[in-house]
Amino acid sequence: MTTIESTTGPGTDPQPPVLAARAFDAVKVYGTGDTEVRALDGVTCGFERARFTAIMGPSGSGKSTLMHCVAGLDSLTSGSVFLGDTDLTTLRERELTELRRDRIGFVFQAFNLVPTLTAAENISLPMDLAGRKPDSAWMDEVVRTVGLADRLGHRPSELSGGQQQRVAVARALASQPEIIFADEPTGNLDSRSGAEILGFMRRAVDELGQTIVMVTHDPVAAGYADRALFLADGRIVDEMAAPNAERVLDRMKRFGD
Amino acid sequence: MLTATLRSLAAHKARLAMTGLAVVLGVALMSGTLVLTDTVGRTFDNLFSNVYAGTDAVVRSTEVVKSPFGQDQRAPIPADTLASVIATPGVAEAEPTVTGFAQIITPSGEPVGDPTGGAPSFGANWGLVTGLNPFTIAEGEPPTGPDDVVVDRASATKGGFGIGDTVTLLTAQAPRPFTVRGLATFGDSDSPAGASVSLVTLDVASELFAVPGTVNEIGVVATGGTSEDEVVAALSARLPAGIEAVTAAQRTAEDQSALGQALGFFNSFLLVFAVIALVVGAFIIYNTFSIVLAQRTRELALLRAVGATRRQVTLSVLTEALAVGVLASLVGLGIGAVTSIGLRSLLGAAGIDIPSTSIVVSPTTAAIAIGVGTMITLAAAVFPALRASRVPPIAALRTVAVEPKPPVIRIVVGIGILGLGVLNLVGGLTQGGDTALFGVGGGALLIFIGVAVLGPAFARPAVRLLAWPLPRLRGITGTLARENAARNPRRTSTTAAALMIGVALVGFIAIFAASAKASIDQIIDESFTGDLIIDSGQFVAGGVSTDLAASVKTAPGVAASTGVRFLTANLDLPESSAPAGPASNAAFILAADTTALVDITDPQPTAGRVSDLGLNEVAVASSVAESAGLAVGDTVPAQFPTGERTLSVVGTFDNRALLGDWVVDLATADAAAVDRLDVQVWVKVADGASVTVVQEELKVLAAPWPTADVLDLSEFKASQAEQFDQILNLVYALLGLAVIIALVGIANTLALSVYERTREIGLMRAVGMERRQVRAVVRWESVVIAVFGTLLGLVIGLFFGWVMVLALSSQGLGVLSVPVPTLVVVMVLAGLAGVVAALLPARRAGRLDVLTAIGSE
Repeated sequence: MTTIESTTGPGTDPQPPVLAARAFDAVKVYGTGDTEVRALDGVTCGFERARFTAIMGPSGSGKSTLMHCVAGLDSLTSGSVFLGDTDLTTLRERELTELRRDRIGFVFQAFNLVPTLTAAENISLPMDLAGRKPDSAWMDEVVRTVGLADRLGHRPSELSGGQQQRVAVARALASQPEIIFADEPTGNLDSRSGAEILGFMRRAVDELGQTIVMVTHDPVAAGYADRALFLADGRIVDEMAAPNAERVLDRMKRFGD
Repeated sequence: MLTATLRSLAAHKARLAMTGLAVVLGVALMSGTLVLTDTVGRTFDNLFSNVYAGTDAVVRSTEVVKSPFGQDQRAPIPADTLASVIATPGVAEAEPTVTGFAQIITPSGEPVGDPTGGAPSFGANWGLVTGLNPFTIAEGEPPTGPDDVVVDRASATKGGFGIGDTVTLLTAQAPRPFTVRGLATFGDSDSPAGASVSLVTLDVASELFAVPGTVNEIGVVATGGTSEDEVVAALSARLPAGIEAVTAAQRTAEDQSALGQALGFFNSFLLVFAVIALVVGAFIIYNTFSIVLAQRTRELALLRAVGATRRQVTLSVLTEALAVGVLASLVGLGIGAVTSIGLRSLLGAAGIDIPSTSIVVSPTTAAIAIGVGTMITLAAAVFPALRASRVPPIAALRTVAVEPKPPVIRIVVGIGILGLGVLNLVGGLTQGGDTALFGVGGGALLIFIGVAVLGPAFARPAVRLLAWPLPRLRGITGTLARENAARNPRRTSTTAAALMIGVALVGFIAIFAASAKASIDQIIDESFTGDLIIDSGQFVAGGVSTDLAASVKTAPGVAASTGVRFLTANLDLPESSAPAGPASNAAFILAADTTALVDITDPQPTAGRVSDLGLNEVAVASSVAESAGLAVGDTVPAQFPTGERTLSVVGTFDNRALLGDWVVDLATADAAAVDRLDVQVWVKVADGASVTVVQEELKVLAAPWPTADVLDLSEFKASQAEQFDQILNLVYALLGLAVIIALVGIANTLALSVYERTREIGLMRAVGMERRQVRAVVRWESVVIAVFGTLLGLVIGLFFGWVMVLALSSQGLGVLSVPVPTLVVVMVLAGLAGVVAALLPARRAGRLDVLTAIGSE
């Protein structure tokens, strides 16, 4: 499984309409019989390269399930998901692990970092796991971008919540993945730190050509994205180009109806 | 609150089982030992009651010589006592018993049984009075002629011979062939306590075993209507001074109690290991409760927040401990009953034969096993319970439980306990006496506890240092393993401490044994100037007849030689440093041809002479002379099995390591002892003669005694080392249990840590850690903990060994030898054991579902 042809990075801005990842008629069912829940009910969508996509929706809409399935963390009941040309549904457990390690970056809401490792070790973790040497020039740039140069030797317990999330973003960027999935990355942060993190992600897309998919229910966060997908009851119900907080909030309000 | 406790118990069955396992194993060994003792005790009680069933009284000497090795020697009585016994009113029948050492050699020339360490081999006369003979003919017929022998059925089975075959008996006389006429049983048993027995006619027995004109004792059957007491009274009125009559009941009770004492030794020996196992188990329980309660901090805080008192929290934890303790002890008792069978074969492998019958579990055993198991569990849970009760309600709101830095008080207390332990240990070793074992054991325990208390203070830097190569060798998984091992110093050090105990004892025993071997080598190298040693392979009872030494003396190429015997006597010393007690003046005396002795050894004389000792002359080790207040020219009254003699001290010597405390000439031994059996024959080869050639000659001379080995000095050293190794292996096997329990502890700690680190593992899996990498992290953490514990143990073991050698240097243990290869093997095994301990926790960690893990609270 080669990653060279699909690697994106600075200066290799590909054609925008090309899809970094896509789902086709994705169905995910939990439980059986009376307790059956259709978390995804036939979702077909794509995530364009070098774009920042937000997945929005109320809790229970299936937005996290969609992300988990596209990111190779969970498997579909039926349908298919592709990362580049790779059909994730055909991969075995170990291949999925390697795919996540080599081709995907993650930023979670909380508990993003391994407490026993320093910031620097956390950032290079996926590459260390792969036994690859990180590209030091690129690492320096990433570290500078997120402003962590003087915090690299610290352990997570010695960092603030905002700094911890910046380390997580740096880790996601460091391995130059085809796509970064962020699951409520600002959910545990105050608004200033949150804005900082979202600003870094925006710059990663604009300046480094990084593809980012972010799950959030925060309209302000969605305002940083190029595009917003709206999920409800396991289906995509709407899409918004160049969203801003106000329009997203309006759209979200309608879910309550 | 009780409901909450029980719910918590039910919700964590696996945790419960793991904690319980540590108790189960310790209790199993303890109850196994007790059950074995019960079973064997019951077996012999029945046996003795049966074999004396027809006897009413026993006539015997009142003189008993205590032996330092426990087996008392009763003096023989004149054979003509029989006439006056038979003439006593109320006596229906009477018959003498004559017994002595007799080793059976099979038709193919092999000795029956294990002469070096097994059950004794003895011979006796076949009793013609049915009620008095404890043996019953099972096959064939009783001995009637001078060449007839009847052997116990077990010996015939072991030796692979039967009725009509010719066997040779090795006794104090020349080896002599006999025809097997019959096979006998002892009560229902094929052999008395595994001993090998040859039964011959009274005439033959007197010739082979007795000082001429004496018998060992006389059994009496009373006439109908005469009670045991009446016949004893009648006999007592007639018997001369120095001879007594006792009832069969009393004799049975004495035999039972003697056996009880012998069993008591094995019992204590095994119980020591059971206690070690339980102490290790206590560490595990303490650790498990500590970890589990730390993980339940929020739950406990919530209970406190909604109004549970500290007392209720403590009680809830202790109730959990009580339930674990009782359940585990019950299981342990059950396993112990089965274990007793295994212990029996373990002892059998070490040469201690115990007949098998059905298992007996006495109520006392059950009570002790359950009581001790439960108490240990409760005691181990007290500190964690108190700590749990101090969880403030506010902790419910905190997310992460942080382990506090070890306070200074911990270091102070730890060093205090450690110091107290060292004092106790050294005190116990140097003072001697009955309390010595207590001091040594208690001291060792305090040292273990002291190190365990100090552990959390140094575990983190120590583990980081120990694991420094890991990140280089194993990359990120190595880094993670090292940091995981270092992140909870208290947890890591307590887990390692449990392993430390077993390893320290293994290391100590290894060092002690190596030092003992090296010391023996040194003694032989430095003060044995002879060239060959004929070793009978026997020590306390038995040996080879003096015919061998006599023929060796005149063999060509032999410059000097002497048979070496050991006598037991009770000495009346002017001053005795030993505490008063029945065996306090029991002495072990070396007897040799003292003219030849000085040519073959260097006695290092300090006063008078050690050579050319005459009848009743004795040489004393100078340190013994000093403590006993003896000097050349003094006399020592000595009670031998053949009567009292007055020994004159004519010399003192320093070489106590080779010659022991007392040396007499064979002339004295011939006069004073019942048996004339050489334990060894020491030989110096003439100048110019080849040692190898003489050795081959002597092998031919010794051929009639298949139990005797003609060894050159290096072979002798090797055979001594081999005997050590046999005992060592038994001790290692028993200590192995403590090590296994410690490994269960490591597995337990890792499992709890994996549970605690679920989210972290989930995160790493999400960003691309493979399952095998997750397993490797757990595995290497386990190896680091195991190696840390082993290193601590080896350091302590080395210290124990050093102290022991210091304390025993005056008794011949002069060389401290560290068996580096053995210790390296222990280290490597510890690493492998760490891998094994990590198998299940690593598997579980590898199987964690990523989504559940990152989603879990």
